[in-house]
Amino acid sequence: MTSPLRKALEGSSVLVTVGSGGVGKTTVAATLALRAAMEGKGSLVVTIDPAKRLANSLGLSALGNTEARIPDATFAAAGLGPQAPMHAMMLDMKRTWDELIERRAPPDKREKILNTRFYQALSTALAGSQEYVAMEKLCELRAERDYPLVVLDTPPTAHALDFLDAPSRILDFLDNDAAKWLLTPALAAGKVGLRLFNLGGSYVAKTIARFTGTETLQQLADFMLNISGLNEGFRERAHETRALLEAPTTSFVLVTGPMPERLDEAIFFHTLLAQNKLNVAAIVVNRVHSPVPDALWPQVARLPQELLRKFEKTLKENEHLATQDARGIARLREACAPTPLVLVPRFERDVHDLRMLWETSRYLWGDARLQTDEAAG
Amino acid sequence: MVIPAPRRVNVQPPVISELSDKRLLIVTGKGGVGKTTLSAALALQSAREGNKTLVCEVNAKERVTGLLGKAEVGPEVTSIEDNLWAVNLRPAEAMREYALMVLRFESIYSAVFENRLVRYFLRFIPSLQELVLLGKILFHLKEKKPDGTFRFDRIVVDAPATGHAITFLSVPQVILDTVPPGALATDATWMRDLLVDPKVTALVLVSLPEELPVNETLELHDALKARVRLTPQLVVLNGYIPRRFGPAELAAGLADEVREVARAHEVRADLSEASRVRLLTLGLPVLLVPRLFLPAFGRGAVEEVATCFAKERAAP
Repeated sequence: MTSPLRKALEGSSVLVTVGSGGVGKTTVAATLALRAAMEGKGSLVVTIDPAKRLANSLGLSALGNTEARIPDATFAAAGLGPQAPMHAMMLDMKRTWDELIERRAPPDKREKILNTRFYQALSTALAGSQEYVAMEKLCELRAERDYPLVVLDTPPTAHALDFLDAPSRILDFLDNDAAKWLLTPALAAGKVGLRLFNLGGSYVAKTIARFTGTETLQQLADFMLNISGLNEGFRERAHETRALLEAPTTSFVLVTGPMPERLDEAIFFHTLLAQNKLNVAAIVVNRVHSPVPDALWPQVARLPQELLRKFEKTLKENEHLATQDARGIARLREACAPTPLVLVPRFERDVHDLRMLWETSRYLWGDARLQTDEAAG
Repeated sequence: MVIPAPRRVNVQPPVISELSDKRLLIVTGKGGVGKTTLSAALALQSAREGNKTLVCEVNAKERVTGLLGKAEVGPEVTSIEDNLWAVNLRPAEAMREYALMVLRFESIYSAVFENRLVRYFLRFIPSLQELVLLGKILFHLKEKKPDGTFRFDRIVVDAPATGHAITFLSVPQVILDTVPPGALATDATWMRDLLVDPKVTALVLVSLPEELPVNETLELHDALKARVRLTPQLVVLNGYIPRRFGPAELAAGLADEVREVARAHEVRADLSEASRVRLLTLGLPVLLVPRLFLPAFGRGAVEEVATCFAKERAAP
């Protein structure tokens, strides 16, 4: 059987790993990029907030918002010889936003935009803004670089929808009817927030001002006016992003853990991806407990009593975890059919060096399989 | 290690001393470390001691009530058992309550806040949503009955995970930095003061016995101290695995695959112990909650964990 991820990796130029936080999404993204390079497909992995040791092992520690090639010596030290170069980068959210404004805004508006408090909120605090810049960066990389494969690790989302909605949400935020209604006369008259101040004496404006103070309204009007010239660019980019995500050469890899609360989220997320007609190459179930081999029980039964008790307890606990995982995996398989599942075992230590990424890739590639998987598949 | 205590009828030990005089307990940590279970257990233990306790989830998929074996309560504060209330705060309802509190009249609320233009404005005010959620929690903390006593003796908050927790808890300060004086700024001030008051508020950090969650706990501790001026009081190490096999037992004439079982267990136990030692560098007490192997994760698990929050059993 060909591994679904092998197929996706060969047929895609963009892979996007998605899922909730703490399930090993970044590790899976890095593993896929590594495997691609090993197989001769040059790759770039874009991560958001990698664990420090993974970042170090990818040589990301000293880097800002640019791609870096992982040195041959680093691979050699891990006993690996890739056939194509592998690059990695850590995405700096704030910097990507700033670059976006610097590139798009007219020179006289740049400073004004970058210095307002509303911009700070837009670029850091607004729900979906992280997801938006991740998409923005992806489009930029596709347009300006020629990596055969880009693996994008999405930010850990509190709300699964943020990531899919981000481009249209930002657009809606900057360019909706309410904003136009407020600003159009002002733009036409070349004055700041004209309508807003017509509104100033009104009942509605007075009420809002009771919450925010009148100054806030003025500052907001200024900000809207300065940024409104960028809306066309934002709109274009939102469409490009959407097209890129829907392209046949883009695949999604949903990453989850086998515990019940994670599975609910994964199923929900899978439904969303399907509704949006996006290609889900596979669901990676990370950190799965392997079942206890049957042959162990009779061996343990021969031990002296005290040791027997300890071993039985340990085996029962292991069996318990494996059964729980297997049950969850069966549920996931059914709920997300026909999307294939790829199981990765729980390793003794966290995966954070190239050697362990390679070990993980053997499961993603189908070189190695878990017993649970064999029983079900 | 937490030693199972003999069960006593009707005499519940008090919530461990680090938390016993605090009225607001905020539970946070990396996603998936068991914050919700621990919040439910802490609230249950608090209620059983006779404290009128409210347990809050913040704009989440409601889980606390399910874990306690109760029906969902949604965004209304609802009594679920003796001395215990639950609520799942949602921004829309909290916003409405907050607006009504300021505006006093329902008709004004509808006219103003259901206006499309106004909704648009409100989205622009940084962190307003978080502020009203936090505001509702802190309102209930101050809320008094007609006889002058507090409506709730203690509030337990199942706070958002790491990054979102920092955002959530620093909201009053962000508002103060962003919004010029007005009703909003005034509210942000008292909220911030209450949050950072060590006599009222205690922060509980939840971690797991693995390398990355421990790293994140250490970072979260520093970030909260530096950015929110909140000082955590207690670390809970959830899913602790104690050592089981001695070196002599491992050396005995065991078949390789049998010894492997014991060795793998001891590796996990070593990781648990190493995690505990690293967390102790924070200078805070570390409460160990053993890993549970229960068929279903529900009320039984919460009861089990609740006993870990008894006073005399906090690890030194």
